[in-house]
Order: sequence, then structure tokens, then C-alpha cells
Amino acid sequence: MATLQENPLLEGLQLRRTPDPCALVIFGASGDLTKKKLFPALYSLAFRRLLPDKFAIVGVARTTESDEEFKARMKEAVQQHGRDEFREEAWDALTDGLRYIATDFADERGEDELAQTLAELDEERGTGGNRVYYLAIPPSVFPTVVDALGRRRSAEGWTRLIIEKPFGHDLESARALNAEIQKHFTEEEVFRIDHYLGKETVQNMLALRFANGIFEPIWNRQFVDHVQITVAESIGIEGRAGYYEQSGAIRDIFQNHLLQLLAITAMEPPIDFTADSVRNEKVKVLRALHTPGPKSVVRGQYGRGFVEGEEVLGYREEEGVDPRSMTETYVAAKLYVDNWRWADTPFYVRMGKRLPRRETVVAIEFKRAPHPPFEEISADGLRPNVLLVHIQPDEGVSLEIGAKVPGQGMTIRTVHMDFLYGGTFRTGMPEAYERLILDAMLGDATLFTRTDEVEEQWKLVDAMVAPWKRDRPSFPNYAAGTWGPPSADDLLRRDGRSWRHH
Amino acid sequence: MTTVGEIERELASLRSPGDGTEPAMRTSVMTHLAWVPDEWLPAAHEVLSGLAERHPSRTIVLVPQPDAEDGMEAEVAQQDFPLAGSERSICTETIELRLGGDFVSRPASIVAPLLIADLPVFCRWRGEPPWGAGELEQLVDLVDRLVVDSREWREPAAGYARATEVFDRVALSDIAWSVIQDWRLALAKLWPAIGEAEIAVRGPAAEASLLHGWLSARLRRDLPPVEYADELDVRLDGEAVSPQRSEPRSPAELLSEELDKFSHDRIYEEAVRAAAR
Repeated sequence: MATLQENPLLEGLQLRRTPDPCALVIFGASGDLTKKKLFPALYSLAFRRLLPDKFAIVGVARTTESDEEFKARMKEAVQQHGRDEFREEAWDALTDGLRYIATDFADERGEDELAQTLAELDEERGTGGNRVYYLAIPPSVFPTVVDALGRRRSAEGWTRLIIEKPFGHDLESARALNAEIQKHFTEEEVFRIDHYLGKETVQNMLALRFANGIFEPIWNRQFVDHVQITVAESIGIEGRAGYYEQSGAIRDIFQNHLLQLLAITAMEPPIDFTADSVRNEKVKVLRALHTPGPKSVVRGQYGRGFVEGEEVLGYREEEGVDPRSMTETYVAAKLYVDNWRWADTPFYVRMGKRLPRRETVVAIEFKRAPHPPFEEISADGLRPNVLLVHIQPDEGVSLEIGAKVPGQGMTIRTVHMDFLYGGTFRTGMPEAYERLILDAMLGDATLFTRTDEVEEQWKLVDAMVAPWKRDRPSFPNYAAGTWGPPSADDLLRRDGRSWRHH
Repeated sequence: MTTVGEIERELASLRSPGDGTEPAMRTSVMTHLAWVPDEWLPAAHEVLSGLAERHPSRTIVLVPQPDAEDGMEAEVAQQDFPLAGSERSICTETIELRLGGDFVSRPASIVAPLLIADLPVFCRWRGEPPWGAGELEQLVDLVDRLVVDSREWREPAAGYARATEVFDRVALSDIAWSVIQDWRLALAKLWPAIGEAEIAVRGPAAEASLLHGWLSARLRRDLPPVEYADELDVRLDGEAVSPQRSEPRSPAELLSEELDKFSHDRIYEEAVRAAAR
């Protein structure tokens, strides 16, 4: 098609971002992620006609299934987990070119069959050799699959590789994985998913900071006392002992979601919203993170307790977990970003499983008013202003401010000024995977993690876990349904502060 | 007969009923005015009911009744939307004002005190605006965007000529323009062949005139006059163009889209100027 400059009729038309024709190949198609997230997301994209007209999906997994059986199972999954009403015509449009290949990832014949299927789809569906490979597979088989895909990559069209975390388990393995990927694919072809970045509220942090003139001037060490980032889960390991025993909280949440939230909170304004500009600023923050000493890191593991009224098992009692496991299910840390903006401003972060409630929130606590004249007459002690960015489950932004209680005298109380996403914009929010899959098809890597970011994240994690090999804390050290071990409270108490929401 | 003060007190009491329940939180992204003559009232109510969730706002429905006695009557309502996981709710407000007699000609003085400060003001004018009349002139000066649907006009071509007179004062939106989006997209895809092709446009007056005006303005050449028909039909060198149709949108969805736009649509204004020639 002619370009905008050439075509006078295109001007002013709000064109949807529609990807080129392509085939999406999902490795690990029989897994939970495909069922609960990927297919519901693809359906929502089809429902809104955001997928290209010439499109095909190929599911690849070990489970033996026919095309029709796989299709029926995914239909059920969409009906169960999708956010949109189920319409046969949208489902048919999505699955018209659906294929399923049952194969072991290391099986040459399976790889040949996939190549053959994709060639047929190019012919039948007009997908033009364009491929999006979604690797929802265990890390152990990454190299095999990446190598096979690289060797058989289509001569025509473009190829994009979407990779689910974990991107390695330490710096060395991450570098090895990146080296393997880079043998066959360029950095521009690789899309490392951190689904937190696909969340509307995480992107809203960028809007909040950089679309409003009032926040950025006070978003620094002069006005901010400290920052708290909490990623709390009330669930346990949900039968994923094999994975969690290896990863623990630090690799499961801290290394990726938490550090990305921190980077977005602390980054400098990018010059524009292109992939490299945003990621350049994030990586600067990650590089500036000061490695915390052992006294600034707390780890914990939950024991038995009560969550939402139900008695739950301790971590070591979960099925598949070593009864003497030293895997941490909770991490808290005090971090510093060593740059001009944030020097000496602590970022307290905590994340854990079996905490009292599910909540992800970034709290920016500002310094107290320099000379509050109401100190003695305030109802609950004058508290500093706090800007809360709620990521989940109650998406929105709240500002805590002091306000006068109506009546005689001058009584001050802290009140919340709330902007609730669900209250103001009452349209359904897209799931993170919808945005991310579409962006990958469009080749927009802004919300994906770049290799240098991943490596910086691992450098920090490696430095933090190195001392853990030497000491053996007394686990379990917090009861399920509580806010973590007492030493996490001490971490802030030493600084004259406390965690929020206790 | 009511007053603005009484309306404000009624709104406050609806929000905070004083029976011990938590007051509902008001959430607004704009003040939405609707000028709705009696004959359009049922259709307007239907659209508004589907709109409140998408565009939380204070909605002020102005019902002109020039033959009634001087004065105004108001009905004030609050629509609550419960917040998931909370006992609190979010509310939006609707004020329906029946303007009688001379009050019809002075809407701005009635509406101005009821606008939510610092939020954009949109006005949906039902039917053909009385171009040049005092009530329209006052509201044009008060609002940020005037939303019309030229499909509701008796003689769209004549209306377009008058509409151009307000372009400098207010951003004008036309739902008829939004309805032909699929056609514009389909025709844009035919560039560059369309640049030289013989183009024939037939269809309902508003849609066909706008499409014709747009093609003529963008391609910078005169086209054969529009032929009026029930269905829109465009032919290039005698061959019919078939646009890929999007999902049909409800009247509430169509208005909702217009309420998301803030700036002047230069291409639309160009098309209207061409359609008015």
C-alpha cells in the first residue's frame, strides 16, 4: 500500500494497528499458560478484529491429540477463562487455520512436520512465511527448540520469538541462553515476556509520571522519603513444586516483575515511547542499583497458617517440596538507586507467597511537611503524603492527603483521594497477554525485556543470593497469612519506618 | 419551576443520602450536554442509558419547550455502579431540564453554573441545529465540542453550508462521518488507482454527500454530483467498491466514540466545506 505521504485519502483515518499476515506457533500448547492465558487473549484479539485476516495458529506439545481435540479443548478454555462473550463467528475466524502437532521438542521428525505444516499454511492461508514462535516451555528445552527453529527458519518473511520467563537461573545461564538465541536470532527478533509490563496499570505509571507536569518535579530524593514496592500473593505454590524449589521468590518475582516495577518507578523520562528509548532508561536504573549487603536482605519461608479463614499447609509440607527445603517464599530488601535523582533514597521491596492478601502496589512516600502547625491537634498524627499506584487487584492511583475534619477546631485526618481505573474507565481492561502478543506480532518491543536488562537483573540477584549459600536461616520463619518474618519489619524499623498496611 | 440552587442541593443529597451509608463517589470525565427536542427524547434516553458506564459524566439533558410557560422544571437522577470488591459505588448524575417559553433562548445562563469545572464540555445536538439562533450560538460558545448527526437533518447539503460557520468557534463532530469510516478505509486502499478513476457516489444524502465531499477535497478534483439512493454505493470506473464492514455499532457506541475525540477534525471540516459547495 502507498505510504501516508503519497496517499491523501489515508490522512485522518484512524488506522488500527494490524499485524502482517503470520502464523503463530505455540510450543507448550498443552500447558496451563496456553489454556488460561494465551488462547483467551487470542480470542479477545479475534473478537476485536485485531488479528490479521491471514492468520494461523499451530499448537505444539508432547500430548497426543488431534487438531479437532485440541480445538475443542481450547474452545472450552476460552469459554471458561475469556473476558469476552463467546461468539462462534469470532472463534471460527480465530481457529480456521488451527493445527496441532504432537511431538517431543527434540524430535527431528516433529520439527520436519512443523516446517511442513507451516509451508502448507503459507500456501493455504497466505501467511507469507511470517512466524511468531511462542515458547511456553520449560527452560531445559529452550536451547533444543531455539536451535531447531533457527536451523529451519523460513527464507521468506520475518520471524519473532516470544520467550516466557525464566530467562536463565543466574547470570551465567542467562548469558548462555542469550548466546544460544543469538546464534540464530537478532535481538530485534526476540521478545522476552514479563507479563507485568503488559498490565494497563504498569503502563499507567508511565502516563502518570510523564503525562502530568505535577509529579515529575517532586519525583526525586528532595521530596521523596522512600519508596515501597509490594508484590504479595495469598496463594501458595499451586502444585508447581518442581519449578518453585529451583526458583524461589527471588527468581520467580524479584528478578523480573519486581525489578521491572522498580525500574519504571525510578527511570528518567525517555525521549519518546519507542522500544529502545524506554529500555535504555530502564537499564540505566538497573545498572545504578546498589547491591544490598546481607543485612539489607531478608528471606523467609511460610509455615502453616490461615489464609482467608482456611488453614493452609506450610511450604515444606506442600506436595513435591523437600521437607528440609531452604527455598525462600518471601524476600524483602532495601535497595538504593545510585544516581543523581535517587541517591540515599531507600527503595524497600518485598514479595512473597501466602501473605494475607493478593496485592501489588508501589507506594511513593513523600517527606513530611517541614513545619506542620497542626501536629498537636491532628486526629491520627499527621502522616506524610503517599502516592499509591495500585497494580492489582484494585487498579488505580490514590493520594493520601491531610484534610480538616468538619466541625469546630482544626482537626486533621488523612484521607484518600482515589482514581480507580474500574470506576472512571468502565470499559473492560485488556489482559496483559492480549497487548503483548499483539505487540510482538507488530514487532513493537517496548513492553518486552531486552537482553541487557535481563543480565543486569541477574547480576543483582547473583550478588544477593551469594551469601545465602553460607547461612541457613531457621525456616519456616513466618506463618501463612501473615506479612512475612519479623526481621522484615526490623529492616524498616532500623530506619525509623514501617511497612504499609500492617 | 425550579432553580439551579435547588438542583445542586438535590444532587448533593442524592450523593450523600444521610442514612449512614457511605456516600457514592462521583467520577466524571466531562460534562455532557444534550439538546433534545421532545420528539427525540425516547431515542436520547436510550442512548444515554448505554453511555453512562463508558463516559462517567454529569449529563445535562436540555428539553426545549418553547410553547410552555416561561421557566424550567428539573428531574435529577443519580446512577450508581457498584465497585467490585467494595461496598462503595461510583455515581454519575443526570439532570433533565425542561426549558419553557423564553427560557429556551437562554440555555447558557442556566447550564453554566452546573458545569463541572475544568472538565471538557460536549454537547450532543439532536436534530438539525437552528444555525444562527440564540440558543445554539450560546451553547457553541460554552462547549468544547458540538456533536451532531447530519443523518437527522432534512437537507444535509444546506446544513453543511451553515455548519462551516461554526468551525472557527467549536470542534464539530458528526456521527454520519463516523458511520462512513469503513468506506473511507476501503477507498483509501484503492490508491493510487482511485486518483485517476471515474468515481460515482450514490446513497443517502448525508453519508453520500460527506463521502463525495471527502473524495473531492482529498483528490482535489470535481466529481460527478451525488445521486441520492437508500443504500450507499460507490463505483470506480463502473465497478462497485465493497468495504469490509466492521461490527455494527449501537447509537450509544457511535456517540461514545465522538466523546473520545477532543480536537478539530480537519479532514471532516474539509469534506463538509466540499459537500456544501
